[in-house]
Amino acid sequence: MPTPLTHDDPVALGPYRLIARLGGGGMGTVYVARSSGGRTVAVKTMHAAIATDPAARVRFRLEVDAARVMGGQFGARVMDADPLAETPWLATEYVLGPGLDEAVEAGGPLPERSLRALGAALCSALGQLHRSDVVHRDLKPSNILVTAYGPKVIDFGIARAIGDDRLTRAGSAVGTPAFMSPEQATGQEHDPAGDVFALAGVLVYAATGRAPFGHGRAADLLYRVRYTEADLSGVPAALVPLLARCLAKEPRERPTTAELASHLHAGDGEFADHLPDRLLADIGRLAADVWRLVPQRLPAPSAEGDPSAAAAPLGRRPSRRAFLAAGGALAVTASAGATAWWCQRRVAPAPAAKKAPRQTRNLDPLWRYGEYTDLTMYGWGLTVPYHAYGSVLLPLSGPVKRFDPSTGRPQRDAVISGTWWQMAVRNDRLCSLERDYSGHGQSTAVVTWKDGQRYLEPTSLRFADADSRLQPNQILSVAGDIMYVALGSGKGGSRTGFEPSQVWTLRAGDLRTGRTLWKKSLPKRPAASTRLHFLAAKVVGGRLVTLQEVADRKVHAVVRDAAGGAVLWDTPCDVGDPDSLRSGIAADGRYLYLGGARLRALRLSDGAQAWALEGAEDCSPPTLREGVLYTVRKGAGLTAVDARRGRILWTEATAEADQAYTGWRPAVGTGHAYYRNGMQLRAVSLSGHDTALTYKTAAEQFHVDAQAGLILGVAPDGLSAYPLE
Amino acid sequence: MRAGAGPGTRAIRSIGPYTVVTRLDTRVPAHTPVSEHRFIARSADGDRTVLLSTPLATLDPQRFMAEADASRYLLGSWVLPATELAAPGDQPWHARPYVPSLPLPVALALHGGPLPGHTVRAIAVALAENLALMHGQGLTHAGLCPSAVLVAADGPRLTCFGAARAATPDGVPRREVPGLDPGSLPPEQAEGGRPRPLGDVHALGATLAYAATGYTMPEREELPPELRSLIARCLSRDPARRPQLSELVQELTGESEPGTSSGFAAPARAGTLLGPGWLPARLIAAIVHQAASVLAAEVWTQQHQGRTAGGTPSLDDVPRRSP
Repeated sequence: MPTPLTHDDPVALGPYRLIARLGGGGMGTVYVARSSGGRTVAVKTMHAAIATDPAARVRFRLEVDAARVMGGQFGARVMDADPLAETPWLATEYVLGPGLDEAVEAGGPLPERSLRALGAALCSALGQLHRSDVVHRDLKPSNILVTAYGPKVIDFGIARAIGDDRLTRAGSAVGTPAFMSPEQATGQEHDPAGDVFALAGVLVYAATGRAPFGHGRAADLLYRVRYTEADLSGVPAALVPLLARCLAKEPRERPTTAELASHLHAGDGEFADHLPDRLLADIGRLAADVWRLVPQRLPAPSAEGDPSAAAAPLGRRPSRRAFLAAGGALAVTASAGATAWWCQRRVAPAPAAKKAPRQTRNLDPLWRYGEYTDLTMYGWGLTVPYHAYGSVLLPLSGPVKRFDPSTGRPQRDAVISGTWWQMAVRNDRLCSLERDYSGHGQSTAVVTWKDGQRYLEPTSLRFADADSRLQPNQILSVAGDIMYVALGSGKGGSRTGFEPSQVWTLRAGDLRTGRTLWKKSLPKRPAASTRLHFLAAKVVGGRLVTLQEVADRKVHAVVRDAAGGAVLWDTPCDVGDPDSLRSGIAADGRYLYLGGARLRALRLSDGAQAWALEGAEDCSPPTLREGVLYTVRKGAGLTAVDARRGRILWTEATAEADQAYTGWRPAVGTGHAYYRNGMQLRAVSLSGHDTALTYKTAAEQFHVDAQAGLILGVAPDGLSAYPLE
Repeated sequence: MRAGAGPGTRAIRSIGPYTVVTRLDTRVPAHTPVSEHRFIARSADGDRTVLLSTPLATLDPQRFMAEADASRYLLGSWVLPATELAAPGDQPWHARPYVPSLPLPVALALHGGPLPGHTVRAIAVALAENLALMHGQGLTHAGLCPSAVLVAADGPRLTCFGAARAATPDGVPRREVPGLDPGSLPPEQAEGGRPRPLGDVHALGATLAYAATGYTMPEREELPPELRSLIARCLSRDPARRPQLSELVQELTGESEPGTSSGFAAPARAGTLLGPGWLPARLIAAIVHQAASVLAAEVWTQQHQGRTAGGTPSLDDVPRRSP
């Protein structure tokens, strides 16, 4: 319902005198207004401040163009517009019909005859748009007004010409997660088939009152849009197969608008004949109520009052006619608060904050997350935290979890999702492997996400002949613009694990140019393999150093020429537990250092052994810092070794050396080296060589977040953070 | 003021402070005459839209204004009392807020024939209850005929209050008076008799007959069986044989309990019959279309005359859109 104008609303926009507000959002306001000839219109504006952004102005102009293309039969007839005004505005007919969302909320799901008529009419509407080479890209119930003569599609705020990527370049592609197509959710080309996907979603909503992928936080929705089947329960049985086709993940499998329309409706009767009585009565009421609208303007708030107080009691809500991109943005903002229920337990404040005699033994972690979580991923081992956007990021099944590094407080989930082995951080942004929707399911794209955006951005990098659904696909490493990936093709689909028939390749791709630099085949893997191809990888001195499992439980150090992919050398790593090798690679320009039965250094150039630490049994993978290797030796504890010469510099003074855990490499800060001993994370002083602090821990794997100054411990049941000092 | 004001004409017609947007009755067929000129008109600032009435040229303006003045006091949901009248000595007109609506004959034309039984029944009960209320006020409508009934989305609206009285003084036959529908005019009023409540019952019978058959004086067999005897009794030449309105309501609603409403208490039986679905979908659509057209219409008052009027939509072009 319209609400009074506020004191700071303009008196007029162009020739239109403002009467009332219809709605407002972050981007602008929609008003009821009248021309001097008495014509009543809806005027949509863009805030002058936003309009200073040339991209926003372009978007507004494109919206006006798209609305004109849509015309008055299937859209709100454009009466007038001035995209160049200081406050750009667009005047359209005042549409007498509720939003489809309002109609369903008020009168419940629509019967099948209404669905068919509505769907067919929307097909005509989209067809009209598509014939003019425009895609809507944000079709959703609130953008559809149901009038007595048919639906009118509004809000072309993010519509764009097919193939015109000006707007995505401007970083403005948005959409509404609940009705987004999978290709749009991954920031890829959303063509007419994407509008068909959204249309089917709209019809599912109209039939059930539910969006096809449910409700909830944007990140969850985007995940479900991409990976789960739509929920069609409650949809009239005759429509289920048809809508299921429209909701196919693969755009090519969806019907065209013309085909869909022909299946939906024969075109008999008038549109109104197919509407439920209740909805028609509501439309009739709207047509009568609009005449009771009286121009009204609220006074300016009093000086001592909160300036926002005057507007608040109006109960202004983002109206359906606030058909600005802001509508979608609000959805995300609203979801931010929803993370409050998130389970988390903060046990202790930062020890640094503590004064007085500092406790040094059996300390609680700085923070901890997860009591009901399983951080093991599909049998491929514990997840790996990342750091980007100033947050600690934890990939789990579903959207990546985000945490405030200093408090552990969960933040709004990242929109990007994926498994830890298909992720990397580059330029403070997460990248992940994603299905390439333009590649008919047989190619894989690299996408990235910028904080605050509601969609993923494709990078220019795509890999052909690689089925993104194969779970063991892997990002090894990113060095500069070059990304190294292991990708497969062939049978297996979305099933987990390897199939002997699959073809696997190791490739290097340039993220800037999108070119694949080289491609080398990888050995076949038996179906029983439980590890990825690569346990760790690192580019050092022009070489791609990898720890690669070549046959089940047989791990080799394989060093390749980073520029050409040729294997330079390959030697077995004899370690007790290959999973320990996931802790990382210690290498410098000269040597690769390996733990295991003996700590040793292999020449990077040819793999020949430079030195080995004799008599040291069962060493953890080493950590290299400033020319010193740190390793955990069974029966001895933390040991510092001269990396150049292979001589022990010192060994910690401890009585609990027998409980030293050698399954992971130590984490080394400026003052302490950390490793797990018993049920504690032990900090060994680098100067005193004795135990400085101990923390309670259940974690098995420890990752250094240098940017946050944290050690992040991963256990099957949670993530815990410790200060890295 | 004599200039044509129908849609599509560029001439500007001002009546009092209002500018005509369109005539309401352009599509009313000749056999259901209207006793006044009815317009949809707009104030100069565009903020008020009204249904505006002026007398037929043959009528005594003072008698017309006297009835308009009396209509200001009408109670009930299904009448449109005048809220604004021309100043004494000015050209006669009266106005009330615009309600999107179709004259009953236009509704029949758009529907393609007689209205469904449940729609007729709903109109019948609403009009009967409101007439009863009027009679309780000591007023006789004396103008009911098919074109006096406007069909809005939520129910009927009765207009043309006092048309018979305005046409001629009592004692002067009204049989040949332009604007009065001979089929609805009670015989006693046609002879020049003073309009009395039972005359309204006759007019109601004729109007319902029209809604159900397309004729105010149908053959008995044309009437739907459930309304046949009731309408026949309403149309009795002898007022004494016509049913009381309370009887009529009881018979139409199937409730035996006698009307308990006393004084000016608003009757409510019609409400239950006017729920969603009471009016055929296409008529709702046509009513909404009228509202949309009036919203979008631009009319130019004298001060705008230099400009070209653009895009005044014709209310006659009801779009028919198939899904």
